[in-house]
Amino acid sequence: MDPKLTEVAQLFARFKAAYARNDLDACVTLLSQLKVQLTKFPSLPPLFQQTPNAVEELKLARDIYEHAVVLSVKLEDQDAFERDFCQLKPYYMDTCGIIPPSPEEYPILGLNLLRLLVQNRIAEFHTELELLPVKALDHPCIKHAVELEQSFMEGAYNRVLSARQAVPHETYVYFMDLLAKTVRDEIAGCSEKGYDSLSISDAKQMLMFSSDQELHQYITEEHPEWEIKNGSVFFQKAKESQPCKEIPSLQLINQTLSYARELERIV
Amino acid sequence: MAAVATVSSASGLLAMLQEPAPELKLHALASLNSVVHLFWPEISTSVPTIESLYEDEEFDQRQLAALVVSKVFYYLGELNDSLSYALGAGPLFDVSDDSDYAHALLAKALDEYASIKTRVSKATEEEENIDPRLEAIVERMLEKCILDGKYQQAMGMAVECRRLDKLEEAIVRCDNIQGALSYCINLSHQYVNHREYRFEVLRCLVKIYQTLPNPDYLSICQCLMFLGEPETVASILDKLLSGSKDDALLAYQIAFDLVENENQAFLLNVRNRLALPAPVPSNPDTGSALQDDQTASTGTGAETAGDVQMRDDTTTPNGNAHTVDPNEVAHADRLTKIKGILSGETSIQLTLQFLYSHNRSDLLILKTIKQAVEMRNSVCHSATICANAIMHAGTTVDTFLRENLVVIHFYLLPLHRIAALAISLSHYGVVLQEWLSRATNWAKFSATAGLGVIHRGHLQQGRALMAPYLPQSGAVGGGSPYSEGGALYALGLIHANHGEGIKQFLRESLRNTSAEVIQHGACLGLGLAALGTADEEIYEDIKNVLYTDSAVAGEAAGIGMGLLMVGTASEKASEMLAYAHDTQHEKIIRGLSLGIALTVYGREEESDTLIEQMTRDQDPILRYGGMYALALAYRGTANNKAIHQLLHFAVSDVSDDVRRTAVMALGFVLYNEPEQTPRIVSLLSESYNPHVRYGAALAVGISCAGTGLSDAISLLEPLTSDVVDFVRQGALIAMAMVMIQTNESFDSRVGAFRRQLEKIILDKHEDTMSKMGAILASGILDAGGRNVTIKLLSRNKHDKLTAVVGLAVFSQFWYWYPLLYFISLAFSPTAFIGLNSDLKVPKFEFLSHAKPSLFEYPKPTTQQTTTSTVKLPTAILSTYAKAKSRAKKDAESKANQEKTTEEASGSTSGKAAKTQEKDADAMQVINSYLFLHCSHIFKDSWTPSTNCISCCSKVDNTAEKKAPEPEPTFQHLTNPARVIPAQEKFIRFIEGSRYVPVKPAPSGFILLRDLQPTEAEDLALTDAPSTVAGTTSNTAAAAGQQGSGSSAMAVDEEPQPPQPFEYTS
Repeated sequence: MDPKLTEVAQLFARFKAAYARNDLDACVTLLSQLKVQLTKFPSLPPLFQQTPNAVEELKLARDIYEHAVVLSVKLEDQDAFERDFCQLKPYYMDTCGIIPPSPEEYPILGLNLLRLLVQNRIAEFHTELELLPVKALDHPCIKHAVELEQSFMEGAYNRVLSARQAVPHETYVYFMDLLAKTVRDEIAGCSEKGYDSLSISDAKQMLMFSSDQELHQYITEEHPEWEIKNGSVFFQKAKESQPCKEIPSLQLINQTLSYARELERIV
Repeated sequence: MAAVATVSSASGLLAMLQEPAPELKLHALASLNSVVHLFWPEISTSVPTIESLYEDEEFDQRQLAALVVSKVFYYLGELNDSLSYALGAGPLFDVSDDSDYAHALLAKALDEYASIKTRVSKATEEEENIDPRLEAIVERMLEKCILDGKYQQAMGMAVECRRLDKLEEAIVRCDNIQGALSYCINLSHQYVNHREYRFEVLRCLVKIYQTLPNPDYLSICQCLMFLGEPETVASILDKLLSGSKDDALLAYQIAFDLVENENQAFLLNVRNRLALPAPVPSNPDTGSALQDDQTASTGTGAETAGDVQMRDDTTTPNGNAHTVDPNEVAHADRLTKIKGILSGETSIQLTLQFLYSHNRSDLLILKTIKQAVEMRNSVCHSATICANAIMHAGTTVDTFLRENLVVIHFYLLPLHRIAALAISLSHYGVVLQEWLSRATNWAKFSATAGLGVIHRGHLQQGRALMAPYLPQSGAVGGGSPYSEGGALYALGLIHANHGEGIKQFLRESLRNTSAEVIQHGACLGLGLAALGTADEEIYEDIKNVLYTDSAVAGEAAGIGMGLLMVGTASEKASEMLAYAHDTQHEKIIRGLSLGIALTVYGREEESDTLIEQMTRDQDPILRYGGMYALALAYRGTANNKAIHQLLHFAVSDVSDDVRRTAVMALGFVLYNEPEQTPRIVSLLSESYNPHVRYGAALAVGISCAGTGLSDAISLLEPLTSDVVDFVRQGALIAMAMVMIQTNESFDSRVGAFRRQLEKIILDKHEDTMSKMGAILASGILDAGGRNVTIKLLSRNKHDKLTAVVGLAVFSQFWYWYPLLYFISLAFSPTAFIGLNSDLKVPKFEFLSHAKPSLFEYPKPTTQQTTTSTVKLPTAILSTYAKAKSRAKKDAESKANQEKTTEEASGSTSGKAAKTQEKDADAMQVINSYLFLHCSHIFKDSWTPSTNCISCCSKVDNTAEKKAPEPEPTFQHLTNPARVIPAQEKFIRFIEGSRYVPVKPAPSGFILLRDLQPTEAEDLALTDAPSTVAGTTSNTAAAAGQQGSGSSAMAVDEEPQPPQPFEYTS
C-alpha cells in the first residue's frame, strides 16, 4: 500500500479515536491536517487521475469528508457544514462506477436538505432534490426532509414542530431545533401581512412563546419596527401603503423633449 | 474502471476556498484555474472571494488568484477587468498560450496599449504613465512574433503601438527586408490615421531604406514625396542619372510615379533642385524649351542610336555638334528628360497622344442629344455642350463643336496656320447656325470653357487655341466678356496643375480688366494653373478682386484663393473667413467657404480648430463650407471621427444645404474604401429628405467612381427614378461616375442605364433637372473618348490632389453650372504606356488574360436604336408575320452562306470554302479569330503562310465536332494600350520579349528596358495632335486635327492640310 495513503489512514484513525472520545478540539486540528494531506492525491476531484490507488484514496477521502460533515453538525457550525458538504458532494455525484456508494450518503444528503430548509433556501432545496434519483426519495432520511418541506409550505407548522420527535438520525436533532426558529419567523412574517395588530397573548400563542418576556425579546431583536401599546402588537402596515404623491415632472419634460429631438433627426 | 469520472460542479472547490488553511486555499485555486473554462458560471458568483484573496497581502499566491479572476472575467465578457487582473497575474499570464483566453486578452492588451500610447502622444505636457506591466506584455509579444518569424504581425503591432524602435527591429531582422518595407508603407497609408504619426513611420522607413545596400528607390521617393522632402528626392534622382543606363531608366520611372501624384509644388521643388543642364538655354517658358530640346536631341532615329551607343561605350566619339565630354552630354540629356517628366510635360503629352489616337467617342449619342434638346431650354443646351466637352476631354477632338457652335470659326482658327493669320477680328461674332446662337452670356462662357476641357493638357498650343477669345490688350470691345472670361477659365483647365507657363499671362489678364465676368474666369483659371503653389503675388492679385465685393467675381476669387492654397493650411484661411463674415453676398461667402475648405486639404487633425470654427458658425453657408473642409481634410482616410461628425450633421443640421453636403462629404472621406460607402449611406439614401438622398447619391458616385461596384449600382438604381427631380439628376450623374468605362458584358445594368439615359433625354415631358442630369451622365459615361476613368487614388495609393479638388469643386455645380468642368481634373487616362530610354513609345506586346469582351469599348450606337424608340408599334397580322419570318429566315441563311464563302476565300484557305456546315456562323468566328491570332505570331513578315492555312483547316475539322467557342480567354495588347482598372489584374507580360518593364505595373507610364539596344526600334504614337515644328507662338497650329468627323483617325499619317470649308452666315 502506498505510504502516503497509509499515513493518511493512520491520521484518520487518530481522528476517529478523538471523535469517539468526543474530543472535538483535537478532531478539528486533525481534520484540517487530513484535508491538507488529501490535496496531495491526484485521484481526487477535480482531477480524477486514474492512479493505482484511486479507489482506496477516493473511499478514504469520502470517509474523511463524511466525518467532517458530521463533526460540523456536532460543532453546530453551519458554515463549516456547508463547506464540508460541498467538498463531499463530488464524491457522491461524480464517482459512481469507481467506488461503491456510501451507506452514509442519504443521511448526509437528508441533513443537507434539512439545513437548506432551516436556512429557508427553498429554491436550492428543490434543486438538490431534483438531482436525487427517484428511489432516493423513499429513503427515510430524504423522505423526512421532503415531508417537512411540504408541511412547511402548507403552513402546517405544528406538524413541522412535532416531527422533531421522529428524527431518522441522531444528527438531525440540531437542525430540527433550528427549524423551530425558522417556523417562527415565517409565522411572524405572515401575521405582519395578515393583521394590523394582535393582542399580546394571541401573539405569544401564535409565535409559540411561553412568556411575554420572550416575546418582547424576540420583537426587539427581530422586528424592531413592531410597536407594542395598549396590550397589543401593531404591525404598522399603514406606513408602507403611503402613496407616492410627487410627479416626476422634470424627468417627464426632459424625456418628451428628447423624443421630439429624436423625431427631428429621423432621416 | 470503465467510467471516467468527471467533475460536475466546482462548488466543492469553491467551498475549499473558504477553508482557513492556506494550503487548502492554494489547492482550491490551482484546481479552479484548471477547470475555470468549464465552471466559470459557478465561479463567477464567488469572484469576490477570490478577489479578496488577490488583495490579501499575506497570501503568497496572489498572482494565481488574479489569473483565475481574470479568466472568469474573460468568460463573462468583461475584458477590461479581465485585462487588469491578467496584468496582476504577472508572469503566470502566458503570452504563448494558444487558448482563446490568451488570444483575446493579448488583443485587448494591444488595443489598450495602443490607445494609451495614442493618448500620450496627443497630450502635450502632462504625461500619462503607462502600466509597465502592460508594456512588458506587449514587448514580450512583439519579441515572440519576431522569433516565430511572424514579421508582418510584429510590424503591424509595432506600428499600432507606436513603437518605432520595435518596428525598426522587426524590419531589420526580417529575412525579406524589401517586402517588409513595402508592407509597412501600405500599412502606414491604410491604417495609420494620424497624420503626424504617419510621417514619423515613413521617416523611420526611409531611414531603414537608406541603410540597405540595394535600396528600392521607387518606394523611397514615394515616401519622401509624402514627407515633402524634395531635396532628398532630387539627390537620389541626380545620383541615379549619373549611373548606368538602367539607373537612368529607374530615375525616369520614379519621376513618372511622382508626377502621377499630382503634387505640383513638390514637383517644382524637385525640379528646381536638380542641377541646371548646360546645353539648355534659359528660357522663361521652360516647358516649350524642354520640349524643343528634347525633340532636337532625339530627333532622328540615327541620332538616337548614336546616343545609345555613346552611353554604352563612353570612348566612342560622338558625332554630335557638341564638343564637350560625352559623359556630360549624356548626363545633361538625361537631366533635361527628367525635368521634362517632372514638369509633367512628358506625361501630359503622351497622354494627349494616347487619348487622341485612341479616341472612341460616339458622336451619334451627342447628335441624338442635340436633336432631342429643346431650343429654348438653355440649361439642357449648356449641359449638351458640357457633355460634349467631357466626352472629348483631353482628346483635342472638337468636331462636334465645330459642326454646331456659335463661335465656330474661332475653333477652326488654330487648325489652319494660314487661316489663323488671315482671319481678322472683324469676323468675330458671326452667327453661323441657328442652333448655335443659343449660347449667350454665361452659356457662352461655359461653351468657351468647354474648349479648355477638350484641349486639356495641350500645353504648347493652349494659348494659341484660345487666342481668338482671349482679351486683347488695347483692343477692348472686340469679343464678348463672357467668351473672354470663359477663355481664361479654359486656359486654366488646359494648364491645370501645370501652369508655370501660363501663370504670368493669366495674372496680366486679371489685372487689366475690370469686367467681373472676365475676372471670374481669370480667378478660376489662375487658381487652376497655380494649383497648390501658394504663390503670394497671385494671392494678392486675387485678393484685390475679392475686395471689390462684386458677387460674380468674388465667388470665383474665393474658389481661386482656395485652389492656390490647396493643402497649405496657411493662416490666409482666417483672413478669408473674416471677409466671409463681412460680406453681404451669399455667392462670395460660398466661394470663400469652399476656398477655406480647400486650404485644409489633407491636413487631417491639424485643421480641427478651423473645422470646428466653421461648423459652429451661425451662417449655414459657412457650415456648408465646414462640411467641405471635413471632407477635404480627411479625404480618403475613412477616419472614424470625421465620419461620425459628418453623419451627425447629416441628420441634425437645420439647413438642407448643410445636410446635403455633409452626406456628400462622406464620399470624399471614404474614397479609399469604396466598398464601405454604399453600406454607410444606404440608410441615408432612403431618407425622407430629398437633399439627403441627393447627397447620398453623389457620395456613392464620388467614392465608388470608376469602380463599377455592384453594391453602388444597386443603391443608385432606385434613386434614378426618384420622385424628386434633382435627386434623379444627382443619381444619374453618380451612376455615370460609378459606371464609367464599365461595359455591358461586365455588368448588364450598364446597358440598361444607357437606355434609361436615352429615354430620359428623348422624353418630352421629363423635368429639365433630370434631363440635364441625363445629358451630363451620358457625357461622363463616355468621358475622354472612352479612355479615361475617375480616379482619386494613384497607383501608389496616394491621393490625387488634382482629382479630389476637381471633384470637390465639381460638386458645386448645384449653385454654378460652369463649375461642372472641374470634373475634367478627376479624369485619368486608363492606359499602359511603355517608354524606352528616349521616352519614346516602342512597339511592345503584352497579354490581357481575360475575355476581350469584358473590357472592350462599348459598341457604338447605331441610327437604328435612336429611331426605333420613337416608332409606334404597328399592328401585324398573323399571316403577314408568318410570311415575313419565313422570308427573313431564307434571307438569313443565304447571307450566312455567302459570308462563309467570302471569309474562306479571303483567308486563302481553299478547304474552308468547300466545307458546308450548318453552324457556319460559329465556325466563321473561330476561323477569323485564329486567322488574326496567327497574324500576330507572324506579324513581322506576314504573308498568308501555310501554317496559318493549316491552322484554319484544322479548325474546320474540329468545328464539326465541338461546340462553338465564341471567345478567346486572352488578348494581345499593343503598347500603348487601353487598360481599364478592372482589367489590371489580368495583365501579364510576355516572357522573352524584347522589352522588360522596369517595374511590373499593369498600367500607367512604364519604362521599358531594351534587351536588344542595337536593333532599330519600331515606334508607335509618332503622330500627335501637337507635333509642331515651330516654337510656341500664336502662329502655331494644331496640325493633327484633320477635319473629318471620324473618331478613328489614322495614327501614322502625316498631318493633312486643312480641309476646305465654307463659312455660311
